[in-house]
Amino acid sequence: MFERFHVPIKVIANRAGPVPKFVIVRADNCVNCGKCEKACIYGVHVRSELDSRKMADPINNLCKNCFRCIHDCPQWSLSMAPGAEYKALGKGVWSPLRISTIWGEAETGKIPVFGAGYRGIFAGSGYDGMWTDMSEIVRPTRDGIHGREYISTSADVGRKPPVLEFDGSGKMRTEMPPLVELPVPMVMDVTRLRAMTEATIQGYAQAAKRLDMLLFAATGSLPASASAELTSHFVPVYPSGTDVARIELPQGARMAELSFAPSWKDDAKAFRARFPETVLSFRFDAGKGVEQRVLDLVRAKIDVAHILYDEEGMELDRGELRHSKESLRAVHKAMVSKSVRDQITVIAGGGIAAAEHVPKSIICGADLVALEKALLIALECRDCITCELASCPVNLSSASAEWVEGRISNLVGAWRDQLLEVLGAMGLREVRRLRGELGRAIFYEEVERDAFSDIEGGVGDG
Amino acid sequence: MAEAAKACAKDLPESALVPSEHLKFVNRFEVTRGDACISCGLCASLCPYGVHKRIEGHAKILPPDDRKCIGPSCEVNYFFCVANCPTGSLSVRESETFASMGDPRWTPEMILATWAQAETGRPLSLDHPGNLGASGGGFDKLSFKLPEPVGKVDPADICTAIDLNRRGSGTKIRIPIPIYGGGMSFGSVSVYTMLARAKAARMWGTFTCTGEGGYPEALVPYKDHVITQIATGLFGVREETIQRTRIVEFKYAQGAKPGLGGHLLHDKNTPDVARMREAVPYTSLFSPFPFHSVYSVEDHKKHLDWALSINPRALMAVKVSTPNDVEMVSVGSYYAGAHIVHLDGGYGGTGAAPEIAKKNIAMPIEYAIPKVHRFLAKEGIREQVVLLASGGLRTAMDVAKAIALGADGAVVGTADLVALGCVRCGNCESGRGCPRGIATTDPELEKLTDADWGAGRISNLYNAWRLQWCELLHRLGMSDISQLRGRTDLLRHADKPAKEVGK
Repeated sequence: MFERFHVPIKVIANRAGPVPKFVIVRADNCVNCGKCEKACIYGVHVRSELDSRKMADPINNLCKNCFRCIHDCPQWSLSMAPGAEYKALGKGVWSPLRISTIWGEAETGKIPVFGAGYRGIFAGSGYDGMWTDMSEIVRPTRDGIHGREYISTSADVGRKPPVLEFDGSGKMRTEMPPLVELPVPMVMDVTRLRAMTEATIQGYAQAAKRLDMLLFAATGSLPASASAELTSHFVPVYPSGTDVARIELPQGARMAELSFAPSWKDDAKAFRARFPETVLSFRFDAGKGVEQRVLDLVRAKIDVAHILYDEEGMELDRGELRHSKESLRAVHKAMVSKSVRDQITVIAGGGIAAAEHVPKSIICGADLVALEKALLIALECRDCITCELASCPVNLSSASAEWVEGRISNLVGAWRDQLLEVLGAMGLREVRRLRGELGRAIFYEEVERDAFSDIEGGVGDG
Repeated sequence: MAEAAKACAKDLPESALVPSEHLKFVNRFEVTRGDACISCGLCASLCPYGVHKRIEGHAKILPPDDRKCIGPSCEVNYFFCVANCPTGSLSVRESETFASMGDPRWTPEMILATWAQAETGRPLSLDHPGNLGASGGGFDKLSFKLPEPVGKVDPADICTAIDLNRRGSGTKIRIPIPIYGGGMSFGSVSVYTMLARAKAARMWGTFTCTGEGGYPEALVPYKDHVITQIATGLFGVREETIQRTRIVEFKYAQGAKPGLGGHLLHDKNTPDVARMREAVPYTSLFSPFPFHSVYSVEDHKKHLDWALSINPRALMAVKVSTPNDVEMVSVGSYYAGAHIVHLDGGYGGTGAAPEIAKKNIAMPIEYAIPKVHRFLAKEGIREQVVLLASGGLRTAMDVAKAIALGADGAVVGTADLVALGCVRCGNCESGRGCPRGIATTDPELEKLTDADWGAGRISNLYNAWRLQWCELLHRLGMSDISQLRGRTDLLRHADKPAKEVGK
């Protein structure tokens, strides 16, 4: 029977202690009257279990910043401060808010829903300088959050022939290239992650199987104990310099990825000769001329271009580095102008730090995005500057594969649901139609110019 | 002109002190007294603000009451406690509690300034830090090019009223301030909060809106100042609720969650709320989107005609969010017969919305206003439409900037709640709702807000805002707020440094 794609979510508790956003300080003049206990509806203030005459230390991670205890305290002995540890989390696009949001998503699998309007900065660089469109009335295909099961999020990984050819008897002459169809436009890529253990890789692979996703990892990194079932969701990534003639694909692998090297054409030929039924992908750093490189890959009939950006979503290779927002648009436009867009699948990896980055990357021209650092953050990673498994603050090396699987399923479930929110609001029924839909996005530079060009000091004011 | 202005500034409510002891819990500064203190009491005898207090007979001096402290800038005074303390045990610094409040859009300064206006009804100076957010874009980058003040403004000489019907026919409604209250449903906020807003609206001769959760009976005495909202959920929409109102608002979308429909999470759907919405208590209520009877401008017209046939005297307001084609939607609304086109920008308030929608879907209101204003002008229908803006308008200056960008007036929501003591903690979506008793329907918590007290505070806020608009118009040499509309030449954007200050 046909089954609709569904991400099973279940609360998977945090293993490490929470990082409170706010810290409440109780001064010495507290008289233990207990008014704060009555005031707080979240249970931050309770009496000490050892000595009920005294108030226990505030349970800061329950605090939601409402200030009620502070103004109900007759002694004015309470004060609040932003949590130092929280504020120090992450950097750049990996802001404390994004990191803690991923923790929450991986724990509950739910879409973050809160009261009060947007609280952040007006606009910023990269994907923060972009809004998705919505449609006001004329979209008969949706119903708020209802009817979401009719929105498809599936994506194809592979190349599509530009035309189909038939012989005189009506038999198809075109040889169909191999194709992997995924139910979500996301893959996992752990090749660039720090702090991998066998159990975490195993957990990622289990999650990939459960969600019918793909896991990109260095060849041989999947533990020997992993069953053959897992390998069909495993994409071995070969470093540059690999002798293609000696490659042994894991049994059941549907796709393999080579690192781009000057000898890439010969590598591709050798790979094709040996594994004609396997989707072939090349990975390379984004940078100047990335558009041309993708066009070259198209001409050589490579199935997938896996474009790598850094953690911030910036290009990696020489020259003036662009954000993937610009870089992907350039790649997409170059292919559209040559009418070859569907002849290759573009996977964009790096800088995907929040659910909104998935639809935004796709609007800019990616077919799929690769989750990388988010996979680690989902495991409560604190994104320390120096990363040592031995001194990991959340003791990642003791995480079990099952726990990892559950956390990742929750994260993907929450992100897919948020992708559905965006598609629903736009009135789109398929994520495939979102790809390259630049007309359905609002870019900061453009609207800022349109709206404010006649204002002194604004963009375009001469 | 002056006579007309005088007429429209007549009979406005006076402000009266409406204090809240609760809201005095935080100050910008924090005074700490170290262990070295010998309780000599010198600081208590020096400080004229009453920060330090020593009670005769007590062994120890009381902890400093830093809510009264004026901060480190006090060091120029001879009585500065820190410099005078013989044991060097006092220090003054920025308060961390203060820093824990708010966010870049609603800065702690802005929250405190709004509370102060709600308490006293006194205006802020136009360049007060509480009039500018820290979000680094939009309104927060725009400012007025203000000439030096000439003389003092007499608010009685300035007209801040706007018409809500600029079509040739139909009921004429004029409100003395260019704002009315935005929709907040019963369920997202308590009935006391709704009452406070309705009472303030009546005091000012303006409006508040039911939101989509039905029309509580308690609001009926204020029916001339309550807009009935018809939203996609159609909760509590009946003939009598449409018949009793002077304005019917069709809510197509909401800026904070455009394209998604209302959210009321299960905890907040208490039996009272469920009865009003004719729903099962404690189930989550997600409104559909869009109106399934409306897929074209013609359908839209049918919709408005339907409401008009039930109440022919009512004005029709249409609330839409801000997609790329917002100008087309606005023109469509006009041709469908709307009197008021209400644009709700992406950064607007909400009782519950997915975070992804608040930040990422649809454009901020600052971009939508000039886009629609120019397009309506080009179509030759600008003078027939009342264009109202909402979605992240927090202060009197934001409203003025929206008008200068091309709106006729504004719709406010969150500012009303802040006047009632909201700290924007953002926990109104679930559980028992607002711990401060504003956006809650919890029978115990909702009692924290008294409707009369709240009405006084909102009224004070409106008064303070009106006085700022008067000051602004006076400085700009205007006597009527409609003269400000579309005057982008009076604005300066902070992206490039100011040129020589001209006229």
